[in-house]
Amino acid sequence: MASPCEILVETRDHVLAKKLIHIAANEAWRIERKFSRYRDDNILYQIHHACGGPVEIDDELALLLNFSEKCYQLTDGMFDITSGVLRRIWKFDCSDNIPTQKQIDALRLLIGWGKVSWQQPFITLPEGMELDLGGIGKEYAVDRAAVLISQVSDLPVLINFGGDLYATKPPNSRESWQVGIESIGGLNKTGIIQVKSGGIATSGDARRYLERDGIRYSHVLNPKTGWPVQGAPKSVTVASPRCTDAGFLSTTAMLNGVAAKSFLEAQGVPYWIQN
Amino acid sequence: MKKHKKITMALAVATSSLMSVTPDVHAEESADIGDWDIDAAVLYYTESDRVSAFEPVISAKKQIDTDESISLKLTLDSLTGPSANGAVPSINPQTFTRPSGNNGYTTSANETPLDDTFKDTRIAFNASWEQALTRMTRLTLGGNISNEYDYLSLGLSAVVAHDINQRNTTFTTGVSFANDTIEPEGGLPTAFGVMQPSGTLQPRQTDSDDKTIFDVLFGVTQIIDKDSLFQVNYSYSQADGYLTDPFKVISVVDGVIGLPIIEDATTNLSQVVYENRPDSRAKHSVFTQYKRNIIGDVLDVSYRYMFDDWDINSHTLDFRYRLKTSETTFWQPHLRYYQQSEADFFRPYFISGQHPGEGTDNVYATSDYRLGEMTTYTVGLEYGEKYHDHGWSISGEFYLQSISEPTKKVGQLVQQELYPDVDAFMLRFSYDF
Amino acid sequence: MKLIIFILSLTSITACSELGVKPWERNVLAKPEMSLDSTPLTSALDDHTYFSKEASSGGRGFGGGGCGCN
Repeated sequence: MASPCEILVETRDHVLAKKLIHIAANEAWRIERKFSRYRDDNILYQIHHACGGPVEIDDELALLLNFSEKCYQLTDGMFDITSGVLRRIWKFDCSDNIPTQKQIDALRLLIGWGKVSWQQPFITLPEGMELDLGGIGKEYAVDRAAVLISQVSDLPVLINFGGDLYATKPPNSRESWQVGIESIGGLNKTGIIQVKSGGIATSGDARRYLERDGIRYSHVLNPKTGWPVQGAPKSVTVASPRCTDAGFLSTTAMLNGVAAKSFLEAQGVPYWIQN
Repeated sequence: MKKHKKITMALAVATSSLMSVTPDVHAEESADIGDWDIDAAVLYYTESDRVSAFEPVISAKKQIDTDESISLKLTLDSLTGPSANGAVPSINPQTFTRPSGNNGYTTSANETPLDDTFKDTRIAFNASWEQALTRMTRLTLGGNISNEYDYLSLGLSAVVAHDINQRNTTFTTGVSFANDTIEPEGGLPTAFGVMQPSGTLQPRQTDSDDKTIFDVLFGVTQIIDKDSLFQVNYSYSQADGYLTDPFKVISVVDGVIGLPIIEDATTNLSQVVYENRPDSRAKHSVFTQYKRNIIGDVLDVSYRYMFDDWDINSHTLDFRYRLKTSETTFWQPHLRYYQQSEADFFRPYFISGQHPGEGTDNVYATSDYRLGEMTTYTVGLEYGEKYHDHGWSISGEFYLQSISEPTKKVGQLVQQELYPDVDAFMLRFSYDF
Repeated sequence: MKLIIFILSLTSITACSELGVKPWERNVLAKPEMSLDSTPLTSALDDHTYFSKEASSGGRGFGGGGCGCN
């Protein structure tokens, strides 16, 4: 996950709390192992090394691909899981290394969900293309962990994987969970959100960006142009019944750049923007 | 400014589909792969003045792979105490001969004749293996062996379960085949053979015999909504071979005064003939069960209707309500009602001269109350505690068997109760980890 | 005749596709106490008791093992 994860369980039974935490942690590690692009022993590796041939995938990955395809359609192609290859040239290390247009153009040939053949259960990627589930992986893990925990216990639980979180129900001891939003450019909490239940996700570039000639390039890349989205807010936090929804909406808000706020207004969901 | 579409509805649908990756959630005790899931229970059953049973059982289930598991179970069943031998009570004391033929036992006046020969321990072992054949189909193969001093049972079974409709509907088909061998002490009695005084030759045919039982089951399980589901099963059972109870007898009484005929005056042996049942039995039963979650409590009701070619039909109604008293504790009251009609060859006794001759295999009669017309009632209460890695429960139940008394009786039998109610208490303790 | 009616009602039940839940609505149904046979060990003990005292048996599924008790 590459970010700190915590699970809050409200109970006196610390043995049960440990069990629930293990369930959530195991599920997170399972998902990470399965969809990590750094491993050579998972389905993603097989897909990336199929040299243009079809690969049969399991139900879970199929559902994730269906979901990603739906996201692609809902955003008119801005949300595209094949855009991960751009990380090869865009390294957001707070330096001023901006890639050249030639580099960008070369990679744009390898981007585009429309170039992928997805006929359940077979996926065929043209050679050189990649699938990157990083955009929804963490939020998906949060929701999955929540599903597994609620099968075992009715306790109020808050799952927080690096800022993407889900609360199963309000705690017994007070009205709601208190969630702090990190202030960009500092460690002071900007605000406290009262969460009764549901998902919260944040997209933001507090730590990852490039800056050159006074222009700050956010790490949210437009898959159609290959360039970072212009005028995106520094941070977008969205609340939605599920963490996966919230994650998608916050990412899409960022992809809308200057129109982030009006996009979120149109969705009618609670949101917090930092510019 | 570009007008944004509200996509939250479409998004919610998409995410919901995504969450459906939950693997086949059959409500089972979930065990991690490689762990043994152990369950143990012990039953103590006691009838007032009659038989008692002590039955510990332990089972272990292991998840070998995500779609494969095995289960092993060991049962011990220790039976002591007397049970009714089928003869009628009399205003006079009576004597009967034990199945071995070596000695006898007596019954006081106006008491139901009970034979206390039965002291037996049974040991049974079951093994089953479950494997997913396809994503939606599972096969379970089972074998069992049960052995006691005079009885051996061997059986095999196969069940296939197939899900459709996003696992909302499950079709189950099963077959099982068993072969039981009985070899009682003293051998098997001749049909309607007359019991002889102890120490003399008893009417016996062979040392042992067997029966085969073939069962087939068809079932449908259907999820109704997120809180409830039901199941309907039809099963057919065909038993062939020696189905008689070799230890049960039928009294022969005088047609006017109703006193048991004295077979042997010196030992005061009553005249009784050994019973005889048909050598085949076909049973049909329909079983349905409904379970519903009600704010954390669970309601469980089931009904079974059975009819067979011995003219017995029965109704069983079972009701349980699991009351959730806390995250870890529950109480469960239990009520069971059972009613059966009598077998068409049920004969509480014979009038002297009217009983079939010794060796008449094609005539059937039994006075065993378990094939008579009866209603039984069970009332029980269970308390349990359930934690995520272990749990236990204790339950106490009263079980009353109320057998219909024959309406037309002769002589002294009118003032006797041929089939008094049998009441029993069952104490059960279970532990799982 | 009874059998025919029963089989027909079985098939009509399964034709009801309005019955059922979506996979993510299964959290209650997945609880062990919601399983149709949630305590197989004790239900086997009960079945064995009633099998030896009454004329009927089974219905729920296959038991495991005969005995000399009926």
